[in-house]
Amino acid sequence: MTTTPEGRFRIGVDIGGTFTDGTLVDSATGQVTTSKVLTTPADPASGFIAAVQKLLDLDDSVGPEAIEHVVHATTVATNAIIEGKTAKTAFVTTEGFRDMLEIARQIRPSLYDLQFEKPAPLVPRQLCFEVPERLDAKGEVVTPLDEAALAKVVDQIAESNVEAVAVCLLHSYRNPDHEQRIGKAIAEKLPGVIISLSSDVVPEFREYLRASTTVINSSVAPIVSTYLASIIEKLHAVGVTSELLVMQSSGGVYPAAAASENPVFMVESGPAAGAVAAASLGSALGHPNVISFDMGGTTAKASLIRNGQPNITKDYSVGGAAQSGTGAFGGASGYPIRTPVVDLVEIGAGGGSIAWIDSGGALRVGPHSSGADPGPVCYGLGGDEPTITDANLVLGRLDPAYFAGGEMSLDLDAARKAVRTHCADPLSLSIEEAAHGIVEIANTAMVNALRLVSVQRGHDPRDFMLVAFGGAGPAHAVRLAEQAGIPRVLIPLGPGTASALGLLVTDVRMEGSTTLIVRADEIDPSRIADKFARLETAGREAHKIATSASGEPVFERAIEMRYWGQSFELSVPASESGNIDAAWLSNLTESFHNAHEMAYGFRANDEPVELVNLRLTTVGKIARPKMHRLNNTSTDASTAIKGNRPVYFAESSDENGIAQTPVYDRSKLPAGAMFTGPAIIEEPDCTTVIHPGWTLRVDDFGNLGIEHNN
Amino acid sequence: MTTAAVDPIKFEVIRNALTQAAEEMAIALRRSAYSTNVKTRQDFSCAFFDKDLRSVAQAFTQPVHLGSFVRHVPLAVHRYGVENLGPGDMILSNDPYGGGVHLNDISLIGPVYHHDQLVGYTACLAHHVDVGGGAPASVGAFREVFQEGIIIPPIKLVNKGELDDDLFRLVLSQIRSKHETTGDFRAQIASNRTGALRINEIIDRYGIGEFDHYIDEIIEYTDRRTRAEVAKLPKGVFEAKGFVDNDGFTDEVVNLAVKVTIDDDGVQFDTTGSDPQRRAPVNSTFAQTFSACAYALRALMDRDLPVNDGFYRYVHVNAPEGNVTNCVHPAPVVGGWETHVRLNDLIFEALAPALPDAVCAGTKSMQCHSGFGGENHETGEYYCFLETLAGGYGARSTSDGPDAVQSHGQNTENAPVEETESNYPVRITRYELVPDSEGPGEFRGGLGLRRDYMFPEEATFTILADRDKLGPRGLFEGERGSTSVYALIKNGAEERLSSKTTVQLQPGEVISYRTSGGGGYGAPYKRDPGAVLADVLQGKISAERARERYGVVVDSITQQVDDLATEELRSGR
Repeated sequence: MTTTPEGRFRIGVDIGGTFTDGTLVDSATGQVTTSKVLTTPADPASGFIAAVQKLLDLDDSVGPEAIEHVVHATTVATNAIIEGKTAKTAFVTTEGFRDMLEIARQIRPSLYDLQFEKPAPLVPRQLCFEVPERLDAKGEVVTPLDEAALAKVVDQIAESNVEAVAVCLLHSYRNPDHEQRIGKAIAEKLPGVIISLSSDVVPEFREYLRASTTVINSSVAPIVSTYLASIIEKLHAVGVTSELLVMQSSGGVYPAAAASENPVFMVESGPAAGAVAAASLGSALGHPNVISFDMGGTTAKASLIRNGQPNITKDYSVGGAAQSGTGAFGGASGYPIRTPVVDLVEIGAGGGSIAWIDSGGALRVGPHSSGADPGPVCYGLGGDEPTITDANLVLGRLDPAYFAGGEMSLDLDAARKAVRTHCADPLSLSIEEAAHGIVEIANTAMVNALRLVSVQRGHDPRDFMLVAFGGAGPAHAVRLAEQAGIPRVLIPLGPGTASALGLLVTDVRMEGSTTLIVRADEIDPSRIADKFARLETAGREAHKIATSASGEPVFERAIEMRYWGQSFELSVPASESGNIDAAWLSNLTESFHNAHEMAYGFRANDEPVELVNLRLTTVGKIARPKMHRLNNTSTDASTAIKGNRPVYFAESSDENGIAQTPVYDRSKLPAGAMFTGPAIIEEPDCTTVIHPGWTLRVDDFGNLGIEHNN
Repeated sequence: MTTAAVDPIKFEVIRNALTQAAEEMAIALRRSAYSTNVKTRQDFSCAFFDKDLRSVAQAFTQPVHLGSFVRHVPLAVHRYGVENLGPGDMILSNDPYGGGVHLNDISLIGPVYHHDQLVGYTACLAHHVDVGGGAPASVGAFREVFQEGIIIPPIKLVNKGELDDDLFRLVLSQIRSKHETTGDFRAQIASNRTGALRINEIIDRYGIGEFDHYIDEIIEYTDRRTRAEVAKLPKGVFEAKGFVDNDGFTDEVVNLAVKVTIDDDGVQFDTTGSDPQRRAPVNSTFAQTFSACAYALRALMDRDLPVNDGFYRYVHVNAPEGNVTNCVHPAPVVGGWETHVRLNDLIFEALAPALPDAVCAGTKSMQCHSGFGGENHETGEYYCFLETLAGGYGARSTSDGPDAVQSHGQNTENAPVEETESNYPVRITRYELVPDSEGPGEFRGGLGLRRDYMFPEEATFTILADRDKLGPRGLFEGERGSTSVYALIKNGAEERLSSKTTVQLQPGEVISYRTSGGGGYGAPYKRDPGAVLADVLQGKISAERARERYGVVVDSITQQVDDLATEELRSGR
């Protein structure tokens, strides 16, 4: 533990599309300070440091030396890929397979589109090189590495002025020797070039997926390392010299040095933070099983957290179409990675999503969004197509005079007019009915997202709590919970910046994995023990550089398993207690049968089970900041009431669906306050809607707990 | 949406929920399946039919199935008799002459009940890696359908929720790859069960009356949108002729003719003029031909249009019986997909003058099966493997045809080399693009690909493909893509093979596929010299080809276009 006595403050910085959010937490008291500055796309580090500086300025008592560490979530890697600005990279593979990246999966991203395009490979064909060598599926050498040919390839790479090289040979997950020799030869000739070996980055079978992951790693590494270096330099300039940690796609953080070397682990850094925030909050409040729901201006994201841990997937594509449903062809529109990513479903439904009538006369919402410019009609900035925000305004759920804490007023008449012309009139509905329809249709898509992460993964929504945040999340959360069958909702304090807080409540996590591919009835358990021991040694080594973590690392072990003959593995936690022996193995196998039955509805006790990958995560614990308790306690919330206004609820007994609804000021709600819906709770960056049939209780920390009355 | 009885919100909610049910069926099937063809290559489809057997919702996987499947399912249920079905039952069928396609595509259909009331059917189709017959992977060239494998009329495989063991053992005993096939059948059962659960949840929420009502509305809605899309199409009669390169027994081409008539009533596809059926594997069943036409029509419409009964009713097909596009019993059918996909290219070729910006030039337009099997010396089990290979896509009016990609009704993934070698006794020795295989054009066709299989043990290998006589056609002065090559390599010598053949391989022998490139679009000498240069630098086309076919001279030293020499060469055109 290297925390200095005064090092009790932590800073989290989350760079989003429009805003850069900063959060400062006093680990001792749990007091949170936030800052928001405009994102600076041309040089994101400037926005980063502006957010940090603003935090330091807000509280004079916090000097830069008092910062224990800084955690950062960034889209710099994803943006480089989406915008085609990755570093010039070479690719080296086995002779005969130069076109692995060009051919990819040989599929089209959309079924009926004759004008489709395949995504351009991140390495152009002239920078793809072959080396004579070959291993078989057992990792045994069929053709030895041709050193003379390799030397020529290295010369060609040297002439091509690349910044990075990715190496992926067939079956290297079984035997990394040839890849390592190639890596060494390139490093000797080109000491400044970044080299990624597939056997280091993701030693798992299926060559295209491994190659794609490795190429992404190497081609963003020069960008990420330069970027992080500039952040560190700027932090030093303002006197912050403590460690910089980076959020990974899987929800753990890792040191900037590790991120520079293996950036593929952080491509989905931003979205992970929200899931981590929800997980941490749920756990702290005694709800380890929650569904995280983050709805902003253009998209909504849902993810499932079980036992305090977000669900993790390895079936992911960067820059691909939204991953939902089978995800079958979503991957064909982007670049697959096989590193762990928080399993979230992202859909094009946000406050700015536009409602429209299609050629068959159906009311539709999204995926088009009005974005920040022109924004919803009610912003009065030139938008003329009705959005979800406009519909919420028409329904009385938003206050035209108190948007962004009163900094901006909304044009209700314009919103009503847009809903009428574009939706209500064509469908012969009243304006309120049409607005309600817009919200309900958007909710359907969001409920589907909630179902995809829960029911479809075999989890019953009734066992979960919905943690909703993001600018638009709390306005929809209660209704979504009702439709998805989730009995409890939690709206955290400061829902608009909850994501940034997620950066400060996670541990240092470093992933290690190794391929096994052997049947459970054929393996000697000591081999498993041996492999885990080796992963543990490597994990301890990696842990040494993470100075913010306290004490000894903790190890989490899991084994990816399947029925022999299947292709998709289920990850089964491997118990640490006891020796790895025959009894241990039989418990593990039983856990797999159970997991399979839960996921797919059947078990095959007579079928051989196969152990595919061993995973070991080295966890360096970071102490959680305490949560700050509210000072005022009372069951009476009446002092927080700002007034009443008519709000449309389909459940209302009124024939027009209107209910006179009390409006509360969240900042004045005391701990213990309790009341039933309908109710509206306002705070500067967010509005929470409590539907009839639900009861709200403010907890000791100011979170809104909302439960169904039944 | 003008009647008061339709709540537009409920409509959209139920529509999404039904689609989601089909999607979840697909996920359950894929994730729990065993064969590479199903689990990795996704050669399967799932759908929900209402109680009147109208197609309502389907999961995106392979368009070929979605077109043919909608004909097969109602026929199979009627044949078995709705009255003979009860809760927990599922029927199995693959009969080509009962609305099916080739024998490998086996459908499992389960009636869905809500408290003992029949509310619809879930159905899933999987391309099984082996169904018996004369060659491993069941893709060989034979004279009669009986030689192609087990023919399964609609039979009750699952009775009141229990698998009928006797029946299952009988089916399985005809099949080589028992372990994988057992797993795939189990995955199909899981898929139907998942679908039934989801459908029941929807009905629990809305009640059966609303459920039925909104299904009618969903179909009518699709009908309205399809009609609006049809109205946008140019009216007229459009024709094209072409052929499949051989039939698998004779070297005679199999002539195909397509006439597309678009008028106010809809779109009529007529294959009159195509050759009579053959005693060879190239015959397409009516369901396959229907599927080709349905795909073509769908590809010309709004990408967002749902596909269900309301769409299919606009697909009118006239294919004379006994014709290679509508074969009758007992013609063999395993290669019917080769005919099917070639029809797609012909339909787009016919429509090209009227819809020059909507269509693409000729694609590889063959399924291009590669099937093999034998005894695995290590496990002692009989193994079978099947995959289909991509080729070049046709160029479009404003863009090149993508390289190495599946075309039209087919969108199956490749089998990863490492997965294939881990599970089957084969070594893939090459998998790469074929340079200079593109059809030249102002926009060029995509490149074909090469895949070589080396067998360390004896094996039986079947090629069931096409395009070895003539490459895919170009449009508007665009040129043809390369022809395909199928070869046996032994002792270093290469021997050409037919596009439809089965060979016995000795250890160390290699089968090599080089699939055709796509056709070009527009005159090659109009191609942007910069684009030609980029292809040369990438090694996709040679400098010689750039000069000869595109009239672009690339300076071998500067690696730049020699503008003067290019202008001179092109001015001579």
